[in-house]
Amino acid sequence: MGAVTRARDGSAGDRTAAGVELAGVGVSFDGVRALEDLSIAVAAGEFFTLVGPSGCGKTTALRTVAGFETPDAGRVRIGDTDVTGTPPEQRGVGIVFQHYALFEHMTARENVAYGLRFADPPGGVDRADRVDELLALVDMAGLGERDPAALSGGQKQRIALARALAPGPDVLLLDEPLSALDARLRERLRVRVGEIQRALGITTIYVTHDQAEALAISDRVAVMCDGRIEQVDTPERVYREPASRFVAEFVGDNNVFEARVTATEPPTASVAGVDAALPLPRGTSVGAGEPVTLCVRPEAIRFEGGETTLDATVASAEFLGDAYRLHCDWHGHTLLAKTDARRTPGETVQLGVDAADVRVL
Amino acid sequence: MRAAERLGERTERLGGWAGRCGGRVERLALPLGVALTVAALTLVFYYPVGSVLIEAVVRGGRLTATPLLDVLANPFYTGVAHHLFADLWGVPAGTIEWVRAGFRPVEFGLFGFTTYQALLSTLASVALGLPGAYLLARYEFRGRRLVRSLTILPFVLPSIMVAVGFLAMFGRNGTLNDLLGTVGFGPVDALFTLEIVVLAHAFYNAPLVVRLVAAAWEGVDARRVETARALGASPARAVRDVVLPRVLPALLTAALLAFVFTFMSFPIVLALGGLRLATVEVWLFARVRDLELAEAATLGAIETALSVALIYLYLRYEAHQADAGTGGTALARRPLLAGWRTLRDPLRMGLLAYAALALVVFVGPLSSLLVESVTGPGGKLTAAYYEFLFAQQSATAVGTTKPLPAIVNSLVFGVGTLLLAVPMGIVVSVVATRGGPGSRAAETVLSASLAVSGIVVGLGLLRTLVFGTRILGRRIVLTGAVVIVLAHAVAAYPFVSRNLTPALGRLDPRFTDAARSLGASPLRALIDVELPLVAPAVLAGAAFAFAISIGEFDSTVLLAEGVSSYTMPVALERYIGNRSLGPSLGPATAMGTVLLLVTAVSFVAIDRLGGRWEP
Repeated sequence: MGAVTRARDGSAGDRTAAGVELAGVGVSFDGVRALEDLSIAVAAGEFFTLVGPSGCGKTTALRTVAGFETPDAGRVRIGDTDVTGTPPEQRGVGIVFQHYALFEHMTARENVAYGLRFADPPGGVDRADRVDELLALVDMAGLGERDPAALSGGQKQRIALARALAPGPDVLLLDEPLSALDARLRERLRVRVGEIQRALGITTIYVTHDQAEALAISDRVAVMCDGRIEQVDTPERVYREPASRFVAEFVGDNNVFEARVTATEPPTASVAGVDAALPLPRGTSVGAGEPVTLCVRPEAIRFEGGETTLDATVASAEFLGDAYRLHCDWHGHTLLAKTDARRTPGETVQLGVDAADVRVL
Repeated sequence: MRAAERLGERTERLGGWAGRCGGRVERLALPLGVALTVAALTLVFYYPVGSVLIEAVVRGGRLTATPLLDVLANPFYTGVAHHLFADLWGVPAGTIEWVRAGFRPVEFGLFGFTTYQALLSTLASVALGLPGAYLLARYEFRGRRLVRSLTILPFVLPSIMVAVGFLAMFGRNGTLNDLLGTVGFGPVDALFTLEIVVLAHAFYNAPLVVRLVAAAWEGVDARRVETARALGASPARAVRDVVLPRVLPALLTAALLAFVFTFMSFPIVLALGGLRLATVEVWLFARVRDLELAEAATLGAIETALSVALIYLYLRYEAHQADAGTGGTALARRPLLAGWRTLRDPLRMGLLAYAALALVVFVGPLSSLLVESVTGPGGKLTAAYYEFLFAQQSATAVGTTKPLPAIVNSLVFGVGTLLLAVPMGIVVSVVATRGGPGSRAAETVLSASLAVSGIVVGLGLLRTLVFGTRILGRRIVLTGAVVIVLAHAVAAYPFVSRNLTPALGRLDPRFTDAARSLGASPLRALIDVELPLVAPAVLAGAAFAFAISIGEFDSTVLLAEGVSSYTMPVALERYIGNRSLGPSLGPATAMGTVLLLVTAVSFVAIDRLGGRWEP
């Protein structure tokens, strides 16, 4: 795998990976703002994911990097080069789409070789050797002569990946590449994509609406909403320390409450219409009487012990395989909790919460 | 000469510049293609047609409405409506008098008759086409797909050849009378009647109804019908609420198109109706033949105004039809033949009877053409008509219409048309699918040539390029053959575009994006990826272009007055009038058979290359 080299325009050997920077980018479609003052800096060699609900602008951001959308504000840089006005074919990016976009009139092999019509293979190798190398990289050696129609969805996506990588792009752009595949295959291929990315050390921007996928695969994640970035961080920090209510609710399951800080010592948070109050983590700097948004992950809610106990009723239970997810009614609010033991709807439970597991947004 | 030198210099400079920056030339390819297409259209369509329109309103360098009014106020042209233009203030009194006199029948002249026959033809086309659409959309039977793809054929069958087919079938010595004679019925003389003209128009336009309506019917989402039924609608109610809203607009579109086509129809009326049943188009042709070019121009201008208005209506209506989405599951087809049950099902029996009738109407004329070409007056087999063609070929008399040059000319013009029309069609389709104001303009440009009759285009070309014209200070005279190829290309390229534009529009833009990100310029992406992916549509369009050229008659008959540039359809028309073998159609049917064979062979050849017809 180390034999696979990247470089554009036939310059021999490895090149240092190029970072990608969007600075204050705005994109509009027919007067509708799709991206608003978007700034992202992707480090060289990084696996960077844009995640958000459909219509949040993540694909537009990716297409702006590729050169398919022209920003009406801001700059786009790849490496040290400002590519804001550069057409896609001169940007040195490889792109993979959700529905593969394999050229159906060419074999798998011809698809992979297509980009080599316009650029010499990196490392000065022979074109045919380069294609073989890429086919092997995506575990498709020996299937090159097949027509795309004769390939399965997973195989098609492997070929699409090989095609994007063949000319040795500086940046790899992946637009929901796994979303058309079934769940099991999606997870297998996602591991493989991660391995290939690390092996090549290629700067990669990945777009997905699936937050679990984003957390699983990325070095860093940017959560997007309505054309704006909500938070950029490592998957762990995005999950554990969401920067906004939107991130808290979009990434993983969460219990989010609007509350008011009490004047007690230590201060707690009283949720509207509820007798009991939630504990506040130490060092919370919100003054008494101030409104506050809190969240507690379902897996942090315990069924024994806990610094604060909440009396709730089980409303419904879902079996997830490795655990049960309970929807509990707590004074008219729904509390999500995870447990190993089955509970019957209607059962009253005492839920324990530790101050350290409560996060103030 | 100086201009030519300057042009040469400029080309040289352009070449050097192109060498220096090859990439930029690639970028300029589309604008260049657009410029060339627009230039070609201007030269052989807008300029000649414009010259006809100007001739109608300009006399002696002054703008005048007199020629138009002369035509409109002439009872021969507008019948009773001429009062509107001759004596507007007398109209109310005249109307009252007419009512008092007990609604005497009124005539509406040439324009009225043309409209009347177009209305009848449209009704006949709908009546003949609608059951076919239902049959194809809702029933399964062997050969259904074949029949469906055959409905495209009338578009490309040379209409003068079909006219000969109708003559061979319905003529005094035609196959119909031969058959009637064997069962003891007297001969029927159907020629030069309105009925035969209407039937021939239905032959052409019923398949159009079938295609458009069947497509809409097949586009009905079965799940919507099922939803309606599940919500409590009876089968009939579900048809009314779900199926009809999709089928009726298609039917109306087809009817509107059929009306336009039959209003402007030319060779069918000329050959089957003659001057006695002349329509505007036939009379226009007669005026040109008599070299009454000024009157012809006025008539052509009025006809063009009418047809442009009709096409505008059609386009407005078509645009209004919401694209209800073609997704979903089509309604399941029932088997047409269901064993003995078939005989007890009145609907199935009715459809079978319709199929038999359709077989007679659509296959009858073409097989009559073949049969009559080898059958003598007594019903005996004969090769006399083909021998006649050979004799003609070796005849030395001046002005003889020889068959071989007609065949060669047709093929050469066809290839020339192909070479011009396919790139033009591609350019227009690319502009149309790029979106923005360009796509609207492309649509207009395409429709314009649909709205102007071939006779008007031919007349315009005669007046300008053939008789000579001055462009940029240079006198330009083009020979008949060149002008014919140009005129054919202008008639044919919309068919390339109409095949290609939907295919390109359906193409996932990510194919192009993928190619671009891999390093392809827009032009390379078009050549490497987009066009190959829609190759069937390109080939189908090319086949159309070729077939349109082979069958084109309206402008060719005006432009091919000489002995060197006539084509098979023109030769066919000349043979219809040839009675040197007695009162028989023989030579015409023989020539028609040759034309049918050439059309069929070229069609099948390109069909094999292209694989499928449906884009």
